[in-house]
Amino acid sequence: MKKVLFSICLSVFLVVGSLSAFATPKDTFIVADIGLPESLDPAKGYDTSTLGALINIYETLITPKGAAADEYEGLIATEVPTVDNGGISKNGTRYTFKIRKGVKFHNGETLTPEDVVYSLKRSMVMDPNGGPMWMLLEAVTGVGNTRKDGKIVPGIFDKIDKAIWAEGNKVIVQLPKPYPPILGILGYSSGSILNKKWAIANGAWDGNIKNAAKYNDPVTGQEPLVNKTNGTGPYRLVKWIRSDQIIYERFEDYWGKKPQIKNAITKIIPEWSTRKLMLQNGDVDRAFIGAPQYNEVKAMNGVKADKLNQLSYVGVMFCQKVNTTANPYVGSGKLDGKGIPEDFFSNINIRKAFAHAYNHQEIIESVMNGLGVRPSSPNIYGMPYRIDVPIPEFDLAKTEKYLKGAYGGQLWKKGLKMTIAHNEGRIERRAAALQIAENIMSLNPKFHIELQPMVWSDYVGALRESRFAVFIIGWGADYPDPHNVIHPFMSSNGTYGQFLNYRNPEVDRLLDEGIVTAAAEQRRKIYERLQHIWANDYIGMIAFQATEALALRDNISGYYKNPLYGPSVVIFKDIVKD
Amino acid sequence: MASYILRRLFFLIFVLFGISVIVFGIMMSFGPERRAAAYITTPQQINAIPEIIKTYGLDDPFVIQYVRWIKEISKGNFGWSRYGAMPVWDALLTYLPITIELNLFAAPLTIILGIWLGTRAGIHKNTFIDHVTRITSVIGWSLPTFLFGLILLMVFYGLTQWFPPGVLDDKFIREIIQHPDRFTAYTGMYTVDGILNNRWDITLNALRHLVLPVMTQVVVVVAVLVRVMRSSMIEEMSKEFVLTARAKGASERTVNLLHVKKNALIPAVTVAGWLVALSLQGSIAVEIIFNRPGIGQWTAASAIALEMAPVMGMCVFLAIVYLTTNLIIDILYAVIDPRIRLE
Repeated sequence: MKKVLFSICLSVFLVVGSLSAFATPKDTFIVADIGLPESLDPAKGYDTSTLGALINIYETLITPKGAAADEYEGLIATEVPTVDNGGISKNGTRYTFKIRKGVKFHNGETLTPEDVVYSLKRSMVMDPNGGPMWMLLEAVTGVGNTRKDGKIVPGIFDKIDKAIWAEGNKVIVQLPKPYPPILGILGYSSGSILNKKWAIANGAWDGNIKNAAKYNDPVTGQEPLVNKTNGTGPYRLVKWIRSDQIIYERFEDYWGKKPQIKNAITKIIPEWSTRKLMLQNGDVDRAFIGAPQYNEVKAMNGVKADKLNQLSYVGVMFCQKVNTTANPYVGSGKLDGKGIPEDFFSNINIRKAFAHAYNHQEIIESVMNGLGVRPSSPNIYGMPYRIDVPIPEFDLAKTEKYLKGAYGGQLWKKGLKMTIAHNEGRIERRAAALQIAENIMSLNPKFHIELQPMVWSDYVGALRESRFAVFIIGWGADYPDPHNVIHPFMSSNGTYGQFLNYRNPEVDRLLDEGIVTAAAEQRRKIYERLQHIWANDYIGMIAFQATEALALRDNISGYYKNPLYGPSVVIFKDIVKD
Repeated sequence: MASYILRRLFFLIFVLFGISVIVFGIMMSFGPERRAAAYITTPQQINAIPEIIKTYGLDDPFVIQYVRWIKEISKGNFGWSRYGAMPVWDALLTYLPITIELNLFAAPLTIILGIWLGTRAGIHKNTFIDHVTRITSVIGWSLPTFLFGLILLMVFYGLTQWFPPGVLDDKFIREIIQHPDRFTAYTGMYTVDGILNNRWDITLNALRHLVLPVMTQVVVVVAVLVRVMRSSMIEEMSKEFVLTARAKGASERTVNLLHVKKNALIPAVTVAGWLVALSLQGSIAVEIIFNRPGIGQWTAASAIALEMAPVMGMCVFLAIVYLTTNLIIDILYAVIDPRIRLE
């Protein structure tokens, strides 16, 4: 009896197992990723996973051309406006877009200029908290938020209403001041074009500006279009199985070239080993990998590894006035060998000492498998007006000299105790922190530097309270303009700058001028000066500019390596599968 | 017995209140800024934190926030799960069937195998069978779930391609989505829904995806039950009623299976009950390795991100599961051993 039972179990095991049907079909493309969108409303999504979904479903007026970060081509607009073709007014404040004819939405309706006007206004009217709409709002209204202290900014909706309108087959966008990055902003997924009739029918803004406040900042998850889509993109959404997968299907009435891929799926597979086996077996065509896995993938049969330069970078930042109240990250908060004083990093020689203790080559080669470069300032490779300014070279003798001289020799005599913080799960950042700490501690046994990896929520909380004297953090460009990468770190109001307590009126003035200057030559001078200030003032240092790794089956081609997009963004329409 | 059950259910309300206050208090020990940070995903959103605190009242006093949470719960609103991108209640209903499906197969196998192996080891104490069972179960228990699961996946998927990860092949998922009229998701468990829809191919395919996770779960968990059952058997076999039964001429089989095993089952039922309850919180390692988006994966991701609503929702859910399991175990005691009275 037992033998019979055993035989039955074994047979079932083998029969079930032998029903193999692997390797994806030629018209199907499957991506194994580590994250999926939080919302499919273009006004809400502000991460690469959402961008990856929306870019296939919706279309914007213009879009980055292929692999170029600062060159555009028309999508809903037939051409990219320029001063030469009359699309941009001479003073740089009026943009005119000629709207493509015969474009169909997924529900069969034909796109009109009114849909474009409605879509852009709706996204700004909605302006969900923490969403991407600050970019367009800043350009179109001069104010980056529809709310202040929880209340609607007076007159903001009227400004939105008057800034965009249709004239025949054209759509006009009127800016209060020149705002050169506007094209990049309109090419981001938050500039996606919806079908007005469909959107209103599904509970989105009714199109009446007087009712705008009612539709402003909806509760997370209750955005009317959180899981409903109707774009003009080459793929329509079949199903979004939340935190599991998104299934797309080719839109047969797409105005452009018919894509080869008929079915596309993005799956979330958090574990690398599982993703690797699926890639190896051909069950997925492209998989998310980290830099440490790059060489592993290169050695796999039937799989190719590729590199994707990124407009993102990681900085080691020095806070010039730390909050020392009950702050374990600066020890006693005094120069007594058990801590550091609140203004420790306001001393440029100490900033120099730490900067010279970082050996970027070691981190990039040994930890990142060569997947990175080191730009000399926040105006990273791939950005307009980038110049090379002096980089603090790795030189521990200089570090020693600066530390010995600080506080009249008292620092060297008494020692220090502090913490370098970084957010958890980023091995490169931990390695950079570890290297700086070890190098400085090797100079004097009285120097004690600890590392503090933190989960994102804790990290952001402590950062906002200016608790870190030295912290390591990353930034990814929203659009390819130096303003978007310099402002966060150098401005006294910048995303990180406000917590560095670095105040330089010249920097703030230059940044304010740079963003409203249309003339390229004038802008060049402004941003070059800012890069020199960065190098002279040792505000922080750029640890590396990342290059992401890609892993694909070797029969895949036609994918773009645009540095604006992270590895989660796959444009299915041009994928070719042999 | 009915009044006993009703009384226990009534006390459940107070226990749930206590648990919710404690968990809420722990979550509140993180400052408003840190809890607000759970709402942002990119550095660009850092400046939105003050607005987020205001919008959600994260800096309100404990009592106000707790009462607000209770009010919402009473309306059936458990809050929003960012990781799941859906309301907490919907997330529970989405992820729970995937976890239950795994345990629908793993739990009976664990209990049957655990009791059978434990009984045999107890009866054959200090013999070859006992030694092998004990060593095997200790190895199973000591194996990190993550490692064992990965080894199985590498052999039975990486090398042979027999048993893939996930819950169902893509072609079936697409078919179900594109033709909702042909397949009704009664339970959210493809193995069961396949049978109810008379789609045995779907059931078979879902089973294929279940083989490895079930194996991992069973091998790792069964050891506890084997050890409890074995020691319980040995203890019961040394009691006088066994000697009496033997003196009265009962066969060895009757003594062991009818008298000893029945009494030895009480501790085993307790452990088995707890194992089932435990499994409903999901096995994070099994779910991640075999790519089954169940409740464990969701809870872990939400907790790491300090997401208040899912963590609170899950605590309330687990409290109900554990308290109900306790009640069922108590009732089973009375069924197995008539000497136990529930009062």
